[in-house]
Amino acid sequence: MTTLMRDEKIVAAARLPAQPLRRAQANLVPALFLLPAGIGIGTFVIVPAVLSLAASFFSVPLTGGAWTWVGLANYEHVLTDAAVLQAIGNTLVYSVITIVPSLGIGLCLALLANSVVRGRAFVRTALFLPMTANLVAMAVVFRWLFAFQGGFINQVLGFAGLGAVNWLGDTSTSLLTLAMVGVWRSASFSMMIFFAGLATVPGTIHEATRAEGIRGWTKLTRITLPIMKPTVVFATVVAVLGSIQVFDTINVMTQGGPQGSSETILTMTWKLGFGYFDLGAASALSFLLLVVLVGIGLIQRRVLAGGHK
Amino acid sequence: MIYVFRAARWLVISLAVLVSLFPFYWMLRTAVSPADEVFFDGISLIPTSFDWSNFSRAWTEASLGQAILIGSVMTLSILALQLITCIPAAYVLAKVRMRGKGVALAIVIGCLLVPGQVSLIPIFIGINSVGLADSLPGLVLPYMTSAFGIFLLRQQMMAIPDSLMDAARTDGLGHFRTLRNVVVPMAAPGIAAFSVFSVFTHWNDYMWPLLIARSPDLATPPLALALFQQADAGFDYSALAAGAAIVTAPVIVLFLIAQRRFVQGMSGAEIPG
Repeated sequence: MTTLMRDEKIVAAARLPAQPLRRAQANLVPALFLLPAGIGIGTFVIVPAVLSLAASFFSVPLTGGAWTWVGLANYEHVLTDAAVLQAIGNTLVYSVITIVPSLGIGLCLALLANSVVRGRAFVRTALFLPMTANLVAMAVVFRWLFAFQGGFINQVLGFAGLGAVNWLGDTSTSLLTLAMVGVWRSASFSMMIFFAGLATVPGTIHEATRAEGIRGWTKLTRITLPIMKPTVVFATVVAVLGSIQVFDTINVMTQGGPQGSSETILTMTWKLGFGYFDLGAASALSFLLLVVLVGIGLIQRRVLAGGHK
Repeated sequence: MIYVFRAARWLVISLAVLVSLFPFYWMLRTAVSPADEVFFDGISLIPTSFDWSNFSRAWTEASLGQAILIGSVMTLSILALQLITCIPAAYVLAKVRMRGKGVALAIVIGCLLVPGQVSLIPIFIGINSVGLADSLPGLVLPYMTSAFGIFLLRQQMMAIPDSLMDAARTDGLGHFRTLRNVVVPMAAPGIAAFSVFSVFTHWNDYMWPLLIARSPDLATPPLALALFQQADAGFDYSALAAGAAIVTAPVIVLFLIAQRRFVQGMSGAEIPG
């Protein structure tokens, strides 16, 4: 009864001419709720992204002071510099040899671990561990595993009668070794995403396919994967973004060496900005990276939107 | 035929589990071995002699106690700020009718596409110019809010029935009390998942502390470990392994306690038992 009266009051109040003021008041609290997040996003995401673009057209002193307009010179510098081009090439190679195995292994293991009944919790936890560990700490351990002298991998090779390989110290193997560590880490991440995705496939689907006699490979490619499309796209994008932005393992294990053979875009950006204090060039390179990454994100959204409508 | 398949499945899974766990085993195995044995002889698969002093050596020489303190304060400050900024924003974006909401949501989703690493240089210039480089606020402030957090929590809050919102309104609850008494309890699983994600991300973060923490007593655990390696311990593998174990242990424990929330936070999806 009181509710009804209050509703009538609200309706009556809504008819009053002072409506714009009321609406402003009603919006005040929600606006205040949005404000802290807005300040954070504005200050630490939007403004820096814009500044990054702006700085790429200037020569920027690290210690503060006036910026000098240089036009496209920074872009010209990073796109003609042999070391930067090598870093871009390395990033592409690293990405391809990391992403494809990670997704393949991740999917296989998710399917296999999902079909295990006994020991399921243990298997799942064990396979999730690589992605939870601290990457810097694991990079320290991998540097030791792959050490030229006394490293476990070379001990095994020696035991098998093969010669020792200078995994991290040879220009031909440094990037490959880092990629193996990358696969160790991101196959675990992919698996976790696929595992969560598999859980969203309704049980009725499994019953229906069994009744129809659809099994194995056909079931996977025709039924399970199409249903899991959002998961597949998400896992792919996570793997791509992770590998393009590889930094921690390289910084700890090789510092980009030897002779730039394991330098990637982010470690190069780092070196340009804080090794050579060329913040303009570093900004140009990171803005190019931003364009690529945002492009990948937009493709993801388009693929997903296309799948649902 | 079915037995062959089962055997092959176990073989593949066993191999995968072995590869997954071996680096952890090798870390612990190296951490308990005498340093000279590790350096001169190389080590066997199973430890024969034990030396626990590696842990205390890593703890003191890499200043891990200080680093864990800094890391904890930083991680929890970031989490507190993110929850304070993200929860109200997510509530407005999920449940309040308001002009300009669509634009705000589009901005949040747009920010999800901008990777944090790319903005580090301008953020560093900014933090440096206001004199916050090499300070705890400098480590924390850039992560005061999270577009991912707003988005994840909004998705959770969307699932709260509108009838509950209407009921709260007819009971005379304002936005603040609706948020505190109705929305936050209902969205608790999502808030827990995001919290685990945030703690994990920032405890493990390496790049930003590497940039901003110039003095060693401000080093976070990963940074302290990396500095320890780059200093004179580069070949003291047993102390390095002990340090790595100390730095890794908290996140592994967090993962084992909150595995389900962790997966939900990282993949955005719930997994059943």
